[in-house]
Amino acid sequence: MWAYIIRRVLATIPVMAFVALFVFSLLYLAPGDPAAVIAGDQATPDDVERIRASLGLDRPYLVRFGEWVFRILQGDLGTSIFTNLPVGHMIQQRIEPTLSLMIVTLILAVSIAIPMGVVAAWKQGTWIDRAVMGFAVLSFSVPVFVVGYLLAYIFALELDWLPVQGYTPFSEGFFPWMENLVLPATALGGVYIALIARITRATMLEVLQQDYIRTARAKGAGQGSILFVHALKNASVPIVTVIGIGIALLIGGAVVTESVFAIPGLGRLTVDAILRRDYPVIQGVVLLFSFVYVLVNLGIDLLYTFLDPRIRY
Amino acid sequence: MERRHLLTGAAALGATAFAGPAISQNVAARTLRFVPQANLANFDPIWGTQYVVRNAAALVWDMLYGVDENLVPQPQMVEGETVSSDGLTWDFRLRAGLVFHDGTPVLARDVVASITRWAPRDPMGQMIRAIQQELVAVDDRNFRWKLSRPYPKLKFALGKTGTPCCFIMPERIAGTAGNSMFTEYVGSGPMTFKRDEWVPGARAVFERAARYTPREGTASWLAGPKRVLVDRLEWVVMPDPATAANALQAGEVDWWESPISDLVPLLRRHRNILVDIADPLGNIGSFRMNHMHAPFNNLKVRQAVMMALNQQDYMRAVVGSDTNLWSVLGGFFTPGTPNYTEAGGAVMKSANMDAARRLLAESGYANEPVTCLVGQDQPLLKPMGDVTADMLRRLGMNVDFVATDWGTVGQRRAMRNPPGQGGWSMFHTWHAGADCVNPAGYNAIRAHGDGAWFGWPNVPSVEAGITEWYDAPTPATERAAMDKINTEAVSNVVYVPTGFFKSYQAWRRNITGVVKGPLPFFWGVAKS
Amino acid sequence: MNPVAIPPGLAIAEPMPDVLPPVSARRGLIGFLRRYPTIAIGGGLLLAMLFVAVFAPFLWTKDPTSLAPALRTREPGAEFWFGSDMLGRDVYSRVLYGARVSLLVGFSVALFASAIGLAIGLFSGFIRLADSIVMRIMDGMMSIPPILLAIALMALTRGSVQNVILAITIAEIPRVTRLVRGVVLSLREQPYVDAAVASGTGTFMIMWRHILPNTLAPLTVQATYICAAAMITEAILSFIGAGTPPIIPSWGNIMAEGRALWQVKPYIVFFPAVFLAVTVLAVNLLGDGLRDSIDPRLAKSL
Repeated sequence: MWAYIIRRVLATIPVMAFVALFVFSLLYLAPGDPAAVIAGDQATPDDVERIRASLGLDRPYLVRFGEWVFRILQGDLGTSIFTNLPVGHMIQQRIEPTLSLMIVTLILAVSIAIPMGVVAAWKQGTWIDRAVMGFAVLSFSVPVFVVGYLLAYIFALELDWLPVQGYTPFSEGFFPWMENLVLPATALGGVYIALIARITRATMLEVLQQDYIRTARAKGAGQGSILFVHALKNASVPIVTVIGIGIALLIGGAVVTESVFAIPGLGRLTVDAILRRDYPVIQGVVLLFSFVYVLVNLGIDLLYTFLDPRIRY
Repeated sequence: MERRHLLTGAAALGATAFAGPAISQNVAARTLRFVPQANLANFDPIWGTQYVVRNAAALVWDMLYGVDENLVPQPQMVEGETVSSDGLTWDFRLRAGLVFHDGTPVLARDVVASITRWAPRDPMGQMIRAIQQELVAVDDRNFRWKLSRPYPKLKFALGKTGTPCCFIMPERIAGTAGNSMFTEYVGSGPMTFKRDEWVPGARAVFERAARYTPREGTASWLAGPKRVLVDRLEWVVMPDPATAANALQAGEVDWWESPISDLVPLLRRHRNILVDIADPLGNIGSFRMNHMHAPFNNLKVRQAVMMALNQQDYMRAVVGSDTNLWSVLGGFFTPGTPNYTEAGGAVMKSANMDAARRLLAESGYANEPVTCLVGQDQPLLKPMGDVTADMLRRLGMNVDFVATDWGTVGQRRAMRNPPGQGGWSMFHTWHAGADCVNPAGYNAIRAHGDGAWFGWPNVPSVEAGITEWYDAPTPATERAAMDKINTEAVSNVVYVPTGFFKSYQAWRRNITGVVKGPLPFFWGVAKS
Repeated sequence: MNPVAIPPGLAIAEPMPDVLPPVSARRGLIGFLRRYPTIAIGGGLLLAMLFVAVFAPFLWTKDPTSLAPALRTREPGAEFWFGSDMLGRDVYSRVLYGARVSLLVGFSVALFASAIGLAIGLFSGFIRLADSIVMRIMDGMMSIPPILLAIALMALTRGSVQNVILAITIAEIPRVTRLVRGVVLSLREQPYVDAAVASGTGTFMIMWRHILPNTLAPLTVQATYICAAAMITEAILSFIGAGTPPIIPSWGNIMAEGRALWQVKPYIVFFPAVFLAVTVLAVNLLGDGLRDSIDPRLAKSL
C-alpha cells in the first residue's frame, strides 16, 4: 500500500509542473508588452526599460521559468501590478473567507445530498424519487448568481433572518461567522448537491440489487442499517470521486457567489485581477487553486485505499 | 466528530491568517461603514489621479489651504500668508502644533518637498513652476515662494479639490519620484490609515488621529476644523450595486457614496434611509478624443461627432429618467455657476445626424477604426460607451469597441502610440463640476499639446483665452475670456461633453452631518 | 475421412431457417419516446429553443441592438413584450438573439471538445508511449478549475464569441480525453481486437472500425453534459464581464447588465434566466435519457 501512496504522491509532481508552466506562460502569452503593463500609467520609456531588465525579459524562457519556480518554492509569489503589495500577502488576507465558504458548502452539500440520493434510490420510481431527481436537474440548470440573488432577497431582505452580505471572521464567534455563510453556501451548494445526489442514487441502485444486501435483509438487519451501513459503504467509491471532482465546481462557483454576497475572498480577487490583467496575482491564485485541487484529489485517491480494500493499483 | 475538528481547525487557521481585531459592541457603534464609488487599489494621490484616491487621501493628508463651499480657498495648515506689494513674493507661516501620524512635527521643508512633488503633475502647479524663482523653507515654520510674475490664484491651486491635490507629506515620502508610487501612508490629516487592515478590493480602514488638532473656524468643505466624530471609518468595497442597496436597507452599511439612480426609489421608500443630491455642482460627462492620431486628429471629424452627439441619450442612459438630475450643456463649464457661458455652444445643444454625416463625408474620413476604451465596471461609463458605439455606427464610422475595466483604461489612455498599436481613439470619463467652474484646475480643457491631459489637444486659441482669463483684472474681462474659451473650445472640439448630471448619495437616518459636496466629507459626521 | 454411407430412404431435412425469438413490438419513435420520457421532454424543449434561435430574425419585434434611452426600463407590455432595459433596448428581441449565442456556444463547445478529445483519447489509448505524457498534461489541465481556466484564457484575448468557445473547449477537453481513453483501454484487451491485430489489420483501421463505434455512445452522452455546462459557463463568464462582448446579446450579458436593477426591474434578469434554465434543463434531460437508453450502468460514472 505504501508503494501505491508514494507513487500517487510522486505522480502529482509532473501535474503541478505542467500547471506551473501554463500559469507562468500567461504573462508572456498576453498581448502587449508585459514590462509596459507592469510599468504602468505614467511610466517613461526609461522606466519600462528598467522593468524589462529587472524582469529579465531578454533571458531565455526556460531560465526565466526556472527562476520563477525557484522564487515560488521560497514563497515569493511576486508583487501585484496594481496595488504594489506582495501577492502572497494579498492571498493570505483573503484565504479565510473562501476556505470557510468552501468547507461549509462541502459539509452542507454532502450532508444533504447523500441522504437525498439514498432515499431516492430506496424509493425508486415513486414521487419522492422523481421529486429528488427533478430538483437535482433543476439545480444544475439555474445559474448560481440567480439563486444567490433570490436567496438574498427572500431570506435576508424580506424575512431578515440572515445578513445580506459580508463576511465575519471566525475569531469573532461561531454564530456570526456561520450566519454570513449560510446563504452563500446554499447558493453555491445547489449544483454540488445535485451532482452528489445523482451519483449516490445511481450507485445505490446498483448496490441495492446485490446479493449481500439480500443476505443482510434476510439476517434481519433494519432498513436504516441496510441503507446506510451496508449499501452506502459499498457505494462510496464513486460518490467520493464525484465529491473530489466537484471541488472544481465549488471553486468556479465561489467566484460568482463572492461577488453577489460581497465576501472578500480569493474568488473576487481572481476576478478583479483577471479583468485588470494583474498577471502576478492571476498566476498566484491559479497556482494556489490548482495546488489545492491536486491535493484534494490526491487525498481522495488515498482515501480509496481505506474505503475499498480491493483498490490497489 | 469530523465536523468539530474541521471547525476548530478553521478557527485556528482563522486566528492566524486573518488578523483582524474583534469589534466589541461599543466600537461598532462608533464605526462608520461607507461604500465608496470605486475600489481603492493604490493610494498615492499624486501618482493616481482618480477621485476615489483623492477622497481617501483627504482623510490621511492635510492641505495648506482648503476651498469652502463657495470655492474660496481658506487657510488650513497655514496660519496666514503675506504677499509682497508687487505680488511676486509669498511668505507663509504654518500653524503651531501640526504633527504627522508618526509623531514627527510638520516642518516647512516637508511642505517644500511636497509642493515640489505635486507641482509637475498638476497644470496649475506647472504654470507656477514655469514662473517660479525660488521655493524655500525659511525656518521650521515659514516658507517662501518667489515668482517672476504675479499669480493671484496661488492659494486656489494649493487648496482646490481638483486632482491632484497638494497634500502635505513628510519629506522622506515626498522624495519619492512623482512617477512611482510610494508605499508609506503617513500624513497629518484627521484620520490615520490602518495599513494592516487594508484588503485591496474589499475594504480600507481609517481611524481617528488622536494627534490631529483642528483649526478654529466653521467647517465647510475643505476649510475650517476637520473634526472627526467617529472612532473608525471602514470603506467597504461592493462591486454589486444590488448588494450595496440591500446592505444599506438592512443596516449593514451606513452611507453609500453613489447609489445608481434606478435604485433610488427603492431606497427612498425605506423609512430609515435618506437620499439627497450628492453635489449641487454635479458632473460633466466626457467623450475624450485622441488628437494625436486618426481619425480624431481631423477637426471636421471631431466636429461631426459633436454634431451627431445627443446629450439627452447619454444623460438618460447614465442617470435615468429623472430630469431633475440632468441637463444639456451649451459649453464646457459648470451650469448654475456665475461664470457659466453658452457662447458658441449652440451646436452642442441639439443633435443633427444628417448634417453630421455630411460633414463626415466632407472631412475625408477614410474609415479608420475608432478604438473606444470603455470601462465596463463603472456604472456611469458603461452606458456611455454603449450609446457611443451606437451613435458612431449610425454616423458611419468604423467602431473598434474595447470593453475592458477602468483600471486598464487608466493605463492605456496614457499610451501615445497609434490606436492600432496599443493606443486609443476615445474613452469616456466624467469631471466633477467643482473642477469645471472656471479654467483654474480644469485640466481637461487645457489644450497645450503634449503637456495636456490624455488626448493631448493642441489648440492655441483656447490656451490664449485661458491666459487672458488668468490675467483678467475685472469680473467683466473674466467673463469675456470665458466666452472666448468656450467658443474656441467648441469650434475646435477639445473634447465633447456628453451632458451635465448630478448624482445621489444615500445614508441611514442615524447618521448625521452628511453634507453635499464634490467629495464625501467625513468630518462632522456622527453616528448615533 | 470415410464419408458415412447414407442409408437409402433416409431423408435429410433442410436446415431450418433461423427463427428469432419473438420481440416485443417496437413501435418505432413513439414507443421509444414513451419509454424514455426524459428524451422526449428534453429533446422537445431543445428543438423549441433551436427554432427560436434560428428564426430570431423573423420573431423579433425591435432591433436588439438599437438604443432608445428615452424609453428605458419600461415594464413588460404591448410595446416591449419583455420590457426594456437600461438603454431602452427590447429585452424580448435580445433574449431571442441570446438564444443564438448560447446555443452556438453550447453546441460548438460540445462538438469541438468531443472531436478533439476523441482524437487525443484514441491516440493516447493506443500508443502507450504517448499515453503517460498526454495523461499528465490532461491531469494538469484538469487541475485548473474550468472557470478559472476559461477566465484566464479570456484575459489573454479580446472578448468575442469565438474566444469564449475556444476557452471553454480547452477547459472541457481533458474530461473527454479521459473518457475516451478509458473506453479504449478497456476495449483494447477484448478478443476481437486481438483477433484483428493478429490478422494484420492496421492500427488505424482497428481504431476506426472497432474502437470508435463503442466510444460514440458514452461520448454522445458526455457531449450533452458538456453542452449544458458550456452554456452555464458562458453565462457566468459574461456575468463577471469576461465573456461575450456587450455588443452581442447573450443571456449571460443581458443578466449581467440587469443585475444592478434586479430588485426594481426584475424582468431584465428574469427572462434570460428562465430561458437559460429551460435550455440547460432540456439538454440535461436529453443527456440523462440518452444515457439511460444506451446503458443505465453509465449513470455511475457520468
